[in-house]
Amino acid sequence: MAHERSGIGASLPRKEDARHLVGRGEFTADLKAPGMIEAAFVRSPHAHARIRNIAVPPEAKGCVFTAADLPQIRPIRIATQAAGMKSPLWPPLATDKVRYVGEAIAVCLAPTRAEAEDLANAVMVDFEVLPAVVDAAREVRANSARSEIARGPQDGRVLVHEGWSDNLYIERVVEGGDIAAAARAAAITVTREFRMNRQSGLPLEGRAVVAWHDHRLDEIVVHASTQTPHTMRVALAEFLGLEARRIRVVAPDVGGGFGPKARLYPEEIIIAALALHCDRPVRWVEDRGEHLLTAAHTRGHYCRVTAYADRDGRIIGVDAEIVVDAGAYGMWPQGPYSEAAMAARNLPGPYTIPNYRARHYTVATNKGPLGPYRGVGRPSACFAIERIVDEVARAVGRDPVEVRISNMVPPAAMPFTTVAGMHLDNGDYAASVRLCAELLDLPAVRARQSRGEADGRLVGIGFASFAEQTAHGAAEFVSRGAAIIPGYESCTARILTDGSLVLMVGIQSHGQGLETTLSQIAAHELGIDPAHISVRHGDTESTAFGFGTFASRSMVMAGGAVARASRMLRDKLCRIGAHLLQCDVAEVQCADGAVRGPRGEVAIAEIARVAHLRMDGLPPGVEPLLDATATYEPAIGTGVFSYATHGAVVAVDPETGFVELLDFAVAEDCGTMVNPMIVEGQIRGGVVQGIGTALYEEIPYDEQGQPQAGTLADYLVPSAAETPAIKIGHLHTPAVATEYGMKGMGEGGAVAPPAAIANAVRDALAALGAPGRAEVNETPLTPRRVAAAIERAWAGRPRQGRVD
Amino acid sequence: MTLIHLTLNGAAIADEVPARLALADFLRERHNLTGTHLGCEHGVCGACTVLVDGEPVRGCLVLAIACDGRTVETIEGFRDDAAMTALRASFHRRHALQCGFCTPAMLIAARDLIRRGKAGSEREIRDGLAGNICRCTGYTNIVAAIAEAAAELGTSHNGA
Repeated sequence: MAHERSGIGASLPRKEDARHLVGRGEFTADLKAPGMIEAAFVRSPHAHARIRNIAVPPEAKGCVFTAADLPQIRPIRIATQAAGMKSPLWPPLATDKVRYVGEAIAVCLAPTRAEAEDLANAVMVDFEVLPAVVDAAREVRANSARSEIARGPQDGRVLVHEGWSDNLYIERVVEGGDIAAAARAAAITVTREFRMNRQSGLPLEGRAVVAWHDHRLDEIVVHASTQTPHTMRVALAEFLGLEARRIRVVAPDVGGGFGPKARLYPEEIIIAALALHCDRPVRWVEDRGEHLLTAAHTRGHYCRVTAYADRDGRIIGVDAEIVVDAGAYGMWPQGPYSEAAMAARNLPGPYTIPNYRARHYTVATNKGPLGPYRGVGRPSACFAIERIVDEVARAVGRDPVEVRISNMVPPAAMPFTTVAGMHLDNGDYAASVRLCAELLDLPAVRARQSRGEADGRLVGIGFASFAEQTAHGAAEFVSRGAAIIPGYESCTARILTDGSLVLMVGIQSHGQGLETTLSQIAAHELGIDPAHISVRHGDTESTAFGFGTFASRSMVMAGGAVARASRMLRDKLCRIGAHLLQCDVAEVQCADGAVRGPRGEVAIAEIARVAHLRMDGLPPGVEPLLDATATYEPAIGTGVFSYATHGAVVAVDPETGFVELLDFAVAEDCGTMVNPMIVEGQIRGGVVQGIGTALYEEIPYDEQGQPQAGTLADYLVPSAAETPAIKIGHLHTPAVATEYGMKGMGEGGAVAPPAAIANAVRDALAALGAPGRAEVNETPLTPRRVAAAIERAWAGRPRQGRVD
Repeated sequence: MTLIHLTLNGAAIADEVPARLALADFLRERHNLTGTHLGCEHGVCGACTVLVDGEPVRGCLVLAIACDGRTVETIEGFRDDAAMTALRASFHRRHALQCGFCTPAMLIAARDLIRRGKAGSEREIRDGLAGNICRCTGYTNIVAAIAEAAAELGTSHNGA
């Protein structure tokens, strides 16, 4: 049968590949329109300053636009439902003040991008520079009597937003059980501070917008490199004051998203406004420097964790403080709250920890706004709990693998609600630890460690486990006080006159291969070969509303919608087919491109012809057309949980602190895989991004709020040369609440590498035999940080066994 | 403006260009060859890799006027190129691309590795790809696809 080769479970090569392999993908910056002009932005060089004056040279008059020139643009406003959340208005072009380096002040138009940049350089802005808020932990110290997280003096009160009482967007507590009782009962207490520093998501294609006014349809057409075209239309309608019917948003090929492109940006509003204002097509293509300054930053989590455990390493309580350095504004639609909320609720991980408290603080600073990036709050939560599990194991003298397993939720206890309120649905978490240890051949690594390395380097192995909430629906987003509730996806399935099928989906695909996998689902339901199926996505014109690709939701939600719409069509095909075969509908089946009855079959192509062109063949009461629209939300609104254990083997140079990654393995369970080849591609891609977080990627800020990474020469991302081949092993526990047992899995790859690698480095450095703890609890684990940790561990004493 | 003459994907081209126009912008904006992508515009990411006189260069760092009298090949070319044909097929089979943004340049870099006989081992391929960033795939499948194409092409390309 056709669908066994191409339906659910088949590693079908992708439909998307052909255009990209010949350079005929169509990315936003590739678009041109007659009369198009190009935009470049004047941006703030200061972290915090009052704008006294903007001077436009006489020759540039009419080509430079400030906020005053575009009064139709409304400030970005977030309709948060989280009680007590401060939510500043964000003018897309700065008015009186700038609050981070890179904030847009004016926009310049010229025939070419180079000339537009020349204009931007000629605009002179007079600033009154103000002190900047750059240390989020210090802000918490200054503003929350309860916090112990930060050391250091309080400084003068500088407010990112005037009128606020402090620089906290929101502070909250997540608790369960009795943390004070756990503290009293504990035989072992382990406390550590963790920092996962600010970084970029860095899709290889930066942001881009091309907009024009289509007079025939009286609409503004906005092409943008976005993960969320439908919600962008919602935003453009609100902030441009237009009816949604007059806005079409198209996400053409998008060169990677990873979260940063799932938010609204000021530039998207401004370019659309200019296209209307000037009545000419306008294009803006971000350069990499702008991207590193102004595309959503991510991580920026600081966390202090105390674990209470018994003498066997069984963790009876965790007390945490989490500070998120969220930057100057909340990004539309959800604001800055998701990071801390997700970190706090995911920190107990896949464990049975009975007592828990997490106080969390989301802090406004004079830095670029924080947005989502693969994993959102989970990588830092995983970093904290998985490092702590290893330290508990060391404190009780047991193998971290065994301590990890002994604390995990066992399969028999599923479904299990964690102490932080996460509803884990199913799976065998301990099996993932064992499988991962097997993939890395743990005994062989231990033997290698005992032999030692000829070059004096130290080998270490580390593991990190997590349960990943995916495809969460209404219940989850309501609990976060989200402004919009992305709890469903949509599909319109349309069989055309010749029996070929078009799936029009509200989701958006930018590398995930949904054009292929959604076809596989329709093939499974209808028996139509994927070669005869088109998937249309990313265009508000051709698709019903949907939220887009983020939160590991697309395959479960859009796949579910495709399944439902396909079944609606299948029912209609069977009714018409039974009529044509002159039998009862209960006697027919739809498979392999035909409806089959007891006395013969009729091809879907023939049924399609009848349904559209020969209505005299339709049964009584059946309307023409083969067109069905369905929405889908999973049966559980709190998400279905994929899980995995990641393992890393490293070699650390004790002189330089340089970490080489020798081996990396993932043992994971994401339920039913529609296309295992694509699943493994997503895992490996996520893992290498996680390796970037672990070892290379950081945007440091100085005390004036100046970001210190403005090019790819000082912002390092992993290349093929630094990464090993990623090993993968699968476990299979289908979800009960989704179609076919699918679980989401897009983000998990990026969640655990920092924790696994830091644990491996800790394991390697244990062989130093230093009197102090040689550990690095801050990402990225740069040579400088690793070397400093080694120095601290020796605490000035002479090092034994030093290789000179 | 300066008049330049060059061979572009096999065709003779004459064009007047400003001195500061980068080769990548020349290809993309003047000749609609948008398969040459710009990922960083400062010579690190490799997404704009094209061939000039048969050697890979960064399209963002080379000026169009520097290509006067030279031969330029972009991803839209290579129509009868055995190595490129094999690479396109192996990239498809091995799922060596996701968003597709790095892919054209990755193919050109991979073809060059095979041509120079530098695709004989995983280590060699990984080191040879250090100048081309892919943010989606994690490289495992790219490396496998290149090894597969190199093996398929055999000694006639490998080291020839």
